[in-house]
Amino acid sequence: MELLLSLVIFLPLLTAGVIAIVRNEGFTKVASVVVSGTVFLLSLVLFFNFDFSREGFQFVTKLDWIPTLGISYHLGLDGMAVSLVVMTALLFFAVFVWSWKIEDRPILYTALFLLLETACLGVFSALDFFLFYIFWEGMLIPMYFIIGFWGHERKVYAANKFFIYTFFGSLFLLLGLASIIVYGYFATGQITFDYLEHAKMGYPLWIQLVSFLLFGIGFAVKIPMFPVHTWLPDAHVEAPTAGSVILAGVLLKMGTFGFVRYSLSLFPDASKYYIPLIFALSVIAIIYAAMMAIAQTHIKRLIAYSSISHMGIVTLGTFALDKDALNGAVYMMIAHGLSSGALFFAAGFIYDRIHSYNMDDLGGLARYLPNFAVFFMISGLAGIGLPGLAGFIAEFLVLLGTFKAHPVWAVIAGTGMILGAAYFLYMYKRVMLEEETISDHRKERWAQLRDVEFHHVIPFVLILFVAFVMGLYPAPFVRIVDHTVKLVFGG
Amino acid sequence: MNWNALLPEIVLFFGILLLFLLELLLKEKYYKSLTLLGFVTVVLSAFSVLFVGYPASTLFDGFTVTGFNLIAKFFLLAVTGLVLLASYDFFMKKGSIYGELPYLYLIALLGFMVMLSSENLAIIFVGLELASITMYILVGLFKREYFSKEGAFKYLVIGTTGTSMFALGSGLVYGSTGSLLLSLQKGEDPLFALGVLLLMSALALKVSAVPFHFWTPDAYEGAPTPTTSFLATVPKIAMYFLLVKLTVYIFSALPTWSFLIGVVAVASMFYGNLMAYAQRSVKRLLAYSSIAHAGYFTLALTVVDKLLMTSLLFYVFVYALATFGAFTVLSILEKKEGWTHHFLDFKGIAKEHPFLASVLALFLFTLIGIPPMAVFVGKLGIFMGLVKNRLFFLGVLFVLASLISAGYYLKVIVYMFLHEKERDWGTTGVSAGESFALLVSTLAVFFFGLFPSAVLDFLLRLV
Repeated sequence: MELLLSLVIFLPLLTAGVIAIVRNEGFTKVASVVVSGTVFLLSLVLFFNFDFSREGFQFVTKLDWIPTLGISYHLGLDGMAVSLVVMTALLFFAVFVWSWKIEDRPILYTALFLLLETACLGVFSALDFFLFYIFWEGMLIPMYFIIGFWGHERKVYAANKFFIYTFFGSLFLLLGLASIIVYGYFATGQITFDYLEHAKMGYPLWIQLVSFLLFGIGFAVKIPMFPVHTWLPDAHVEAPTAGSVILAGVLLKMGTFGFVRYSLSLFPDASKYYIPLIFALSVIAIIYAAMMAIAQTHIKRLIAYSSISHMGIVTLGTFALDKDALNGAVYMMIAHGLSSGALFFAAGFIYDRIHSYNMDDLGGLARYLPNFAVFFMISGLAGIGLPGLAGFIAEFLVLLGTFKAHPVWAVIAGTGMILGAAYFLYMYKRVMLEEETISDHRKERWAQLRDVEFHHVIPFVLILFVAFVMGLYPAPFVRIVDHTVKLVFGG
Repeated sequence: MNWNALLPEIVLFFGILLLFLLELLLKEKYYKSLTLLGFVTVVLSAFSVLFVGYPASTLFDGFTVTGFNLIAKFFLLAVTGLVLLASYDFFMKKGSIYGELPYLYLIALLGFMVMLSSENLAIIFVGLELASITMYILVGLFKREYFSKEGAFKYLVIGTTGTSMFALGSGLVYGSTGSLLLSLQKGEDPLFALGVLLLMSALALKVSAVPFHFWTPDAYEGAPTPTTSFLATVPKIAMYFLLVKLTVYIFSALPTWSFLIGVVAVASMFYGNLMAYAQRSVKRLLAYSSIAHAGYFTLALTVVDKLLMTSLLFYVFVYALATFGAFTVLSILEKKEGWTHHFLDFKGIAKEHPFLASVLALFLFTLIGIPPMAVFVGKLGIFMGLVKNRLFFLGVLFVLASLISAGYYLKVIVYMFLHEKERDWGTTGVSAGESFALLVSTLAVFFFGLFPSAVLDFLLRLV
């Protein structure tokens, strides 16, 4: 089992190497689907073998790596991490199936996504700060090129903006890591990069306050939280479909994952201290981003703002310092990963067929693409938290938990849900229903449109199936997530 | 007389003599064979390092062998070997063949090896000069090109100033303490302080740290690109091994050395990184990046600390590999007709040369310090060392400078990958030697990034 985790992480990397050597397009596509499918199945094996009644990290591997600097190859999963690993593997599998028909430089495309998969899985599994940071940065270069190569008109601008923001954030994260490692050195007399050693250490308040901010800036850029969110709409608008899916589904979760795994458990006192700040930023993100979403006419920009709004709910739940709220926040990460992934697939499908993201060019598509209309609707409803789908459980838990200690904040945040329903239904109306505004010429053209193909159906069905299961029967998932909550709050 | 201690130098010396004679007899068409013979000499010499018994000393203690010296020689030989392999095709395609080239590289190398093997300031001086004079010639090799002459002349004039400072500094130190041996230096009078200051300035000049950096951009730009790849790597490694030795033995005897070196380091970091943004030529940009790196390296000399020194030597070695790789890609591109290294030349070359462009991008990412490439470990080590010694301010400045540097490296990558192609350059061949050198440096950059202990532990024992 311990080896299995390393295998899950590095199998995509190895495949990337193999396809770079073989350089055959047919082989590349088959290999990418087979390997990502295998990784998904293996991650399920991990998931079902995860013993959530046992406390602490599981599937732990620890090997000496750079003893001079106290760095080791240390991997392990808790309940949150194992769920995120499964979600990541699922989304990457979906992305590779979706990209079955890509024509522009498929080998490089696949190789970059495989590199990205290794980096993402690694971030969730690393228990050593150095290893964590390598994976964290490792996702930067593939994503930069994915946006820069396969994006739309302003791809260079968006790719650069993405790189500079993220790199800027990472440097603060690095400073934060450095600060606690230095503190650890002065406190214990040796340099160690091990997360578990640091979790036991218990820092004094001033270190916590400083490091929390440094870590927080790094994570906030990735999430993205309110003042540093401006890269996300641009990156999403310009990124190719698969890039958007991974960006919204997985990369944003790295930030919130970092808050739960590192900020909460390493800096418990600072987390209390900064509650007003985080709450204010979260609530601003929830409301402001939702209002921005209503104002958009570009589908992807709208979904991007809705992501910012949902991520606000996650940060709110994380720092409510309540078991239910944290449970909901982690649940939300997975639920949002699935729903935003599906929504970006839907947006990408529309672009593939009609070559526009602009609502003014669309309308009444439901008549011509009936199967797609169903998928799009369910994806959207999952996103806005309809009961019966995963998002509802998450939002409910977050608001419930927050309400106990901070009723005012919870009420304000709750209005975000209403706005969420508003922007999604508005978009659905403009894109799929509203037939009066479209010209006869368009109607003729759209009568020729082809509905979803097999390689579109598989991602939708897989993702939405999981969203339904998580919404209708949340008990086992909540228990898994509860494992992390216990780790953070100590039993 | 312990000949065994001199083994690598002797092998190298006879190789040089052989090349010298063959070059007189053979015609230009044997140039490639001569270069390969030079490479064989380097390999033999590197191999012979393994057979040297240490610690040992010979020539009346003027020449000492320690593990520290040997690993330095090994690094120097490794990088020079790569430079030789990557050089021949450039000169052949350019149609300006100089048969002297292979043995000039080797003489410079020999100079550095002698310099590193001695604990005596006079012999260090001799080695340093042997290397420096050879490098003046190397820079000015393109006799018919204005920039090459200008670069060589500047390098000569400024370099000679450095030489005289070194000589005068050694003289003053000798006058104060009565010895030229490194291990006996413990003066306190102003004479000694002045001597140390002069020595420091001379070495700062050789590693192109601010305020003695003026020759660097011109010499780097004027030199034929393979020579630049030599100039930017081998001397750096050699000088920093020497500086570590001098810091331990001499500089630390001066009370204010820490402050002085810190100022030089910070100035170099920021000057180099900020000036790099103003450059229009990628070759010049890399020259400024090397000034900035001189700053990072010098930062590690502000305290005598094991971790700092080890990380510095590791860093300078992997930096040399990455810089060598970057310059090699430039030299391959320069084989095209009319290539000037201007930013506009780099527009969209990724379409034409996806391989070369990705390799260059990789080396630039390495220089930014993105993990898992090796430079990250070097930076991390220096940063940890600085904060360990409570030099928090320097540590923060170091991170800040690294952040600033990301922008201009990224600019090159953006031009290569994300801009549209404007001009057809025609193809350029990558010779076997060049591709081998690139392969080795790429693999090494990754290998030392993922498994730095391979070198770090070794260095840690020797420092």
